[in-house]
Amino acid sequence: MEEIAYIVHPIVVTLVGAGFGALYFAFLRWQTQVGGLRASLGVGAIAGVAGATMLTAPLGYCMFQGDQSSEDVMVGWIMVGIGLLLTLNIGSVVLWRYFRGQRLLPRGDTTPGAFRSRFGFVYAMAVLSPTILVLVYFVYLPMFDTLRLSTFLARFGAPRTRFICVSNFSRMLGDADYHSNLFLSFALSFGIIIIAMSLALLIASMLNQPIVGANIYRTLLIWPYAISPIVAGSIFGLLLGTESGIVNRVLDLLFGVKVKWLVTIPAAQISVVLASVWNVIGFNILFYTAGLQTIPKDLLESASIDGAGAWQRFTRITFPLLSPFTFFLIVTNTIYAFFDTFGVIFVMTRGGPTESTFTAMYRVYVTGILTSDIGKSTAQSLILFLIVVGITIFQFRVGQRRVQYGNY
Amino acid sequence: MTRRLVLLLFVMVVATGALSPAVAQDVIELEGWVAFSDHRYDWAVDTAERFNALHDDINVTMLSVADYDTIVNNYTLGREDGTYPEIVQLFDAALQFAVDSNWFDFAEDIIAGREEVLGHPVNFDDIIPVISNYYTVDGVWASVAWNTSTPIMYYNVDVLAQAGVTELPRTWAEVLDACAALQPLVDDGTISACASWPFSAWFIEQWTAQQNEYMVNNENGRAARATEFNLDTDAYRAIAEFYRELFTNDYFIYEGQEQWGPTTQNFISGKVAIHMSSSAGARAVSEGAAATGFTLGTTGMAYNQDAPDGWVGNILGGATMYISNGLAPEVRDAAMAFLLFFSNTENSASWHTASGYVPVRNSSIELLKNLEPGNDLLWDIPSGGRVDIEATDWYAAFPNFLTASTQLGDSTVNNATRGSTYGTFQQSRPYYNGVVEEYMLNGGDLDAMIAETNAELTELLQEYNFLFADE
Repeated sequence: MEEIAYIVHPIVVTLVGAGFGALYFAFLRWQTQVGGLRASLGVGAIAGVAGATMLTAPLGYCMFQGDQSSEDVMVGWIMVGIGLLLTLNIGSVVLWRYFRGQRLLPRGDTTPGAFRSRFGFVYAMAVLSPTILVLVYFVYLPMFDTLRLSTFLARFGAPRTRFICVSNFSRMLGDADYHSNLFLSFALSFGIIIIAMSLALLIASMLNQPIVGANIYRTLLIWPYAISPIVAGSIFGLLLGTESGIVNRVLDLLFGVKVKWLVTIPAAQISVVLASVWNVIGFNILFYTAGLQTIPKDLLESASIDGAGAWQRFTRITFPLLSPFTFFLIVTNTIYAFFDTFGVIFVMTRGGPTESTFTAMYRVYVTGILTSDIGKSTAQSLILFLIVVGITIFQFRVGQRRVQYGNY
Repeated sequence: MTRRLVLLLFVMVVATGALSPAVAQDVIELEGWVAFSDHRYDWAVDTAERFNALHDDINVTMLSVADYDTIVNNYTLGREDGTYPEIVQLFDAALQFAVDSNWFDFAEDIIAGREEVLGHPVNFDDIIPVISNYYTVDGVWASVAWNTSTPIMYYNVDVLAQAGVTELPRTWAEVLDACAALQPLVDDGTISACASWPFSAWFIEQWTAQQNEYMVNNENGRAARATEFNLDTDAYRAIAEFYRELFTNDYFIYEGQEQWGPTTQNFISGKVAIHMSSSAGARAVSEGAAATGFTLGTTGMAYNQDAPDGWVGNILGGATMYISNGLAPEVRDAAMAFLLFFSNTENSASWHTASGYVPVRNSSIELLKNLEPGNDLLWDIPSGGRVDIEATDWYAAFPNFLTASTQLGDSTVNNATRGSTYGTFQQSRPYYNGVVEEYMLNGGDLDAMIAETNAELTELLQEYNFLFADE
C-alpha cells in the first residue's frame, strides 16, 4: 500500500484533541473543585479525541493530506474545533452531573399516567413511532444527505459525482464575494429584526387600547404574514418601480423627486428590508398582542397610582413582562431573516444592483435551485445552518439571564 | 332495499372494472409540459384539443409548469421518481443539458427518414435556417421548434419625430444620437428618459453574435464541447462601453437585472422613446402603444457600427419541444405526430398571431401574406379561441410583426449566430451580465473584472464537463 503524505498527520490531530480535552476538563475541575482530577483528565482526553475525529475521520482525514491547499487544512482545523465544542460541552455536562451525584439525564416533569407502567416505554415509542418515522425519513435522512453532498462536486441529472473533500467549504473561505454575502446577511437581518420587532410592539400596544373595531384591525394587521415572501416581494416591486411604481408617483407629485428604489445603494437594501419587515410583522404583532393581554391590569393600575407615567409603566413593567415573547420573536425572526427572505430578493432585485442585496441564503438558492450546482449549494447551506445555530445558542445564553418567566 | 342497493353497486363496480381497461388500452395518453400560464398556454391547450379531435386513439394533455427554470428542475426531479411527461418544453439555454442528460430521443432519430408520422407530414426543409441550425446537435435535429423569438427595437415614433429624429436608429451610435436629440424633451418633462429595456444576459449573447464573436471556445461549443469561457473579447468590452455611455449620460432607465415587466411598462406608458425587447412581446407592446395612443415603430436589434464584420446576424431565443426517451414506439410516434401538427404551417402562423413569436416556417410567413376568408388563424385573447384574420396580408396590416422574421431570415448562419451551447449556460448568465452591470454603474477596471469572471466561469464549465462529458 502506498503511504499517504499528510500535511498534518491524523495522529497529530488525535493527540491535539486529546490534549485539548484533558486541559479543558482539568481547567473545569480546578474551577468547580468538584470530582477527581484523574477522572477529569481521562474523560476529557476521550471526549477530546472523539471531538477531533468525529468530523474529520469519516472523510478519511482527506483535508490534511499532502495535495490539499492551506485553506483545506484550515477548514480541517475548524471541523476539529466544531467537533470539540460539541463533545467537550456534552462530556463536561455529563461528567459533572456524575461527580455531583445527579441523574445523567434531566428527568422530565411527567405526571403519573400510562407511560409510568412497566411497558410504558414500549407504549410511548409505539405511539410516537409515526412521528419519529416521518422525522427520520423527511428531516434527518435528508440532513445526512446534505452533509454527504457537501463534500461532492454534484449536479442534478449528472451521470457521476466526484468526491472533493472539503473544497466546497475551503473555496468559500477565500471567496471575497461570499464574505460580503455573509456580511450582508447579518446586516439585513439585523435591520429586519430591529424594525420588525419594534414596530410590531408599537402597533400591538396601540391595538391593546380599547378602540372600536380592534378585532378587525388585528385581523388586517396579521394578514401580510399569510402571504409568501415571493408575493410580498412582487407587491413591493410593483410599488417601488422607478418610473411606474406608485410610491414614486406620489413622491413625484408631492416633492418632484423619484427615488431609484431597486437599483441604487442603499435604497435597494432598504427596500428589501422594508418588504421583509412588512411580510413578517403580522407574526410579531400576533405574539405581542397575545403577550400584552397576559399582563395583569392591576399591576399597571397600582403602578400608576404610585405615580408611574406611561413611559415608566412601559419600560419597568410591560416590556420586562413581555421578555419571553421578545426572546421567542428574536429567535424566530432571526431564522426568518436569514432563511426566508430570498424570495423577496429574487423578485425585487435578483441580488442587485452589483450584488448589494445578494445574501448568503439567496446564493444558496441561486447555486442549488436555479443552477443545480448542489454540492456547493449544500456546503453553503450548512455554513448558514451553523451560523444560525450559533446565533441561537448565543441568544439562549444571553436571553436566559434577562428573560423573566414570571408567575404573575 | 339496502341489499339490492349493495348488489347494484357491486354490479356497477364490476362493470366499470371490466370496461375501463378496454378503453384505456385504446387511447394513448400524452402529457406535455409548457412554461406558460397566460393566453399562450390557452393556445397550446386549444391546439392539443384540435389534435385530439383528429385522433380518437390519442389524448394530449397540456400542463402549465411555472417558468423555464422550474420546468428543467421539475423534469430533472421527475426523472428520479418516474413522474415525467412524454413531451417537455425546454428553453434554448438548456440545449446542452438536454443533450448531456441522455433523457430525450431526438426528433430526427424518431422520424428516421419517414415522410409522415401518423398522417402528419415531415417537412423540416421549410424551417428558417438560423432556427433549425440552433437546435441541430452534431448534425441531428434535436427537438421541434415552437416559441422562437429574437430581440428587436421598439420605438415611440411620435416622440422621436417631435425631437426631429425621422429615421429609426439602427446602430448603437444612432441610438446615442437619438438620445442626445431627445434630451430637450426629457428636460421639459415630455418623457422621463430616452431609453429603457431589460438589462438581460440574453442581449449580451445577442450582441456578441452580431459582432461575429463566440461566448465560449471551440466555436461557441458547436465545433467541439466548450471547455473555456471567451469573455476577453473586444465585442464584450464594446457592449460594456455602450451601456456605460447610455447610463452616464442619463439616457437609460436602469430597473435592475432581467426586469422585463417594469421596462416594458416604461415604454408602453410613454415614459421613454426607445425600448428593446423580445419579439415575443410584439403583441403586448402593440396593444399597449395603441392604448396609450402613440405610433409604434420597430427595427432589428441595434448593432455595433464599429464591429469589424458589421452586423452578421442574431441568435434565436425561446424554447422547443423535446420527447422523453424510453417510450413505447407507438407512444413515441404519437408524441412526434403531435409535435409535427403543433408546428405545422397553419399552427405556426396562428401561434405567431397569438404572441409575436416568429413563425418558424417560411410557408407560414407566405400563408400570412396571402390570407383568404375562413382562415381561422387569429388567436383571440378575450374569447380564448381562433377567429379569422380579416386582412388579406397580415404583415401589411401589422408590419411590426415582420421585423423579427426579417432579422432572423437575414442572419448569416455560422457558429456565432447559431449561438453558444455549453452546460453551465444558465448558471453563467448572471456573471457576465454582472460584469457589465458593475461597469455600467460604477466604471472601474473592466479588464480586471473580465479576467476574474472569465476564470470563474471557465472553472464552473470544467466542473460541469467533468460530471457530464464522456470520458
